[in-house]
Amino acid sequence: MARWYAIAALGGLATFAVGVMPVAAQENAATKAVEAAKQYAGTTINTEEEAGLMAMLGINITGPEWQELTGIQVRVSEVPYEELFPKAMLEHRAGTGAYDMLTIAPSWVADMVRAGALEPLDPYIEKYGVKSEFDDIAPAFRDWMTFDGKTYALVVDGDVHILYYRKDLFEDPTNMEAFKAEYGYDLAPPQNWEQFGQICQFLTDKYAPQLYGAGLINTGYTYYFFFERFRSYGGRFFDPETMKATVNSDAGVRALTEMVEQNGCQPPGVQNWGFGESLSALNSGEIAMTISWPPLARWTQGINADEQALSWVPPTQVKDKIGYAITPSGHSEMAAGILLALSPNSKNKDATYLYMQWLHSKQESLKNVMRPLGLRDPFRISQYESPEFQSLWPTAKDYLETHKRAVETGYADLAILDTYKYWDSAGRAVNAAIGGKDPQQALDDLAAEWDALTEQIGVDRQREAYTAWAAAPAAYRE
Amino acid sequence: MAIQAAAVTTAAPMTRPAGAGGFKYLLIAPAVFVLLAFGLFPFLYSVVVSFQKLSLLDQYTSFQGLLNYARLLQDQRLWNAVLHTFAITAIALPFQLALGLLLAHHFLAERPFKRLFVALLIIPSVISPMVAGSMWRLMFDDRYGPINQMIGWILGEHVSILWTIQAAWAYPAIIICDIWEWTPFMFIILLAALSNVDREQLDAASIDGANAWQSFRYVSLPAIWPVMMIALLIRALDLVRLFDIVWQLTRGGPGNATETISIYMFVRGFQEFETSYTGAMVVVLLVLFTAVLVVALRRMEIVR
Repeated sequence: MARWYAIAALGGLATFAVGVMPVAAQENAATKAVEAAKQYAGTTINTEEEAGLMAMLGINITGPEWQELTGIQVRVSEVPYEELFPKAMLEHRAGTGAYDMLTIAPSWVADMVRAGALEPLDPYIEKYGVKSEFDDIAPAFRDWMTFDGKTYALVVDGDVHILYYRKDLFEDPTNMEAFKAEYGYDLAPPQNWEQFGQICQFLTDKYAPQLYGAGLINTGYTYYFFFERFRSYGGRFFDPETMKATVNSDAGVRALTEMVEQNGCQPPGVQNWGFGESLSALNSGEIAMTISWPPLARWTQGINADEQALSWVPPTQVKDKIGYAITPSGHSEMAAGILLALSPNSKNKDATYLYMQWLHSKQESLKNVMRPLGLRDPFRISQYESPEFQSLWPTAKDYLETHKRAVETGYADLAILDTYKYWDSAGRAVNAAIGGKDPQQALDDLAAEWDALTEQIGVDRQREAYTAWAAAPAAYRE
Repeated sequence: MAIQAAAVTTAAPMTRPAGAGGFKYLLIAPAVFVLLAFGLFPFLYSVVVSFQKLSLLDQYTSFQGLLNYARLLQDQRLWNAVLHTFAITAIALPFQLALGLLLAHHFLAERPFKRLFVALLIIPSVISPMVAGSMWRLMFDDRYGPINQMIGWILGEHVSILWTIQAAWAYPAIIICDIWEWTPFMFIILLAALSNVDREQLDAASIDGANAWQSFRYVSLPAIWPVMMIALLIRALDLVRLFDIVWQLTRGGPGNATETISIYMFVRGFQEFETSYTGAMVVVLLVLFTAVLVVALRRMEIVR
């Protein structure tokens, strides 16, 4: 009798294996989210998103699609990047519940968790998530989502700086020969900042004013560029014992002086360039190198160039001419990144979480990281390996490989208490030096400002936060 | 008889209906309430908050004495902002006065198309300072802006002045923009004042042999003095709270080089949400400026 039971049990298992397992294998976080969300049809969720192209994705594409699939309406509030954090915090303090879904940067997570402004997501992941899809996230980006062992956000955008360079100029035999004769090494993507300056000067000397060796971003987010160079020269942000700022060390002065000096081989007025100017110049074929965020690769290839929202991007003159490399520091700054988080004041937590899960899912996120609209960048292993993405343009595979390596070896953004204040003052110091202030003086002022901030926050509290951040391998890469 | 009756009426004590005294207060109560609610209450609340420690991340409502005020004294960035504001005021204000006065004098006489030109000259003052700042930012753009191009034509070579990036040029840029926008205000007020100077006094001065300068110095200037002082005061107050133009042109940069008091307070209060600290700043600066204003008004003999 027992044998018959065993046979029946085996038979049952086999039936399960044949009938159910394929279903489990097909299960994905996107469909699971859609199915579960249908019970909330008729509700509206409010999202806080970065104004511009980021928000356009939600307004034009994912919001309407989600409504069609689930009956849940997505109402997008566009907020400038620098106001995302304070606005979310203010709404939280006032308990308005104005936003259900928040768009945040990884370096804000610690501050927001301590203020109780983020809802822990683990119960929702347990209820609706698909574990294999969480395993698919590149480790560096997975770290962004957690704090003190709990998950507070879902990554949707894997930012890291990439060096874009004109392959046609770098591979030109005449250029290669002349460069080697002058500098004694091969013309190739620069391995350090000295090489960057030399290559920039060489190309400027040869091609200016039609083309300059480089065109870097000098206004807006300049702290990212300084932080990267500073750390590549062995710089440390603070003395871990006293928590006194050490940004004005030799490493800091060297990094900032070099940043200012290397503007000399770049187009006149480059000190005025932001993200847009740098992109325009690269697309128009006016510069040979720049360092910027990952969407540039898609824009230089002219993908979706006919899209109305991208009409401000100059038509590409450099299609199939751009190469990708890790920045000269050898460790690219993982500048910003975007996470989706759930407001604890939301009245539609489940519906909102499910929308977040859908956006973050393997299936949907792949579509979004291939679109120029939305400024989303790869963050999943499956995205790096996707044949569809790899064949999006002839060198897409190189781009994905570079992005993956940049993330694996990149510097994490400084993330301590009141991070945004430290960033802001660093940005002002860099801009002051670019505007003519002595770099040592600019950094001395910055250090004094950071010290005052640390005193105000509390040295012990900040030391604790800094020690936790500095312990991560991506903090200083040693 | 009628006179007597009137005298009796005048001499008799006024009789008011019961409650009339209260009614007049009732009539002005809404206006007083609005003034108190939107004027006095925020200030008093700022005073209370300035003794606490409210910020975006900390919500400690317990009082902590004069801590925020002590921090103010050591806040070099604040005092630099005060210095920047007064530097801009000290340069822009005399320019606006001098140019406004010259223009007013010019248009005092009948000129061809006088009305048209006066109307055109006033246009900058009716433009929002935010828009004016944005417009001048484009004008000063080193690549596409006409200012550098015009300087280039004059010098006969390409120039690339980074007006909004380099501290040395950022101040001239701000001051040029402010003068452009607000000289017309000064001009129109002074034109009105000069138009009302007694013609007979000017003629008498002329007959006595006074030249144009002497007529202006000893006849016109004393006549327009109170109006000119009021115009100066209004513009000085505007410059002390200068925000829009600087924000659009330089955001207070490079670094903090052009940060004005208003910009610094905006940054601390509404970007960094240092609520209590900004409250302390408001209290100190308001008291300081009120004192300066009272002294200025007395000196100018506008309020006696």
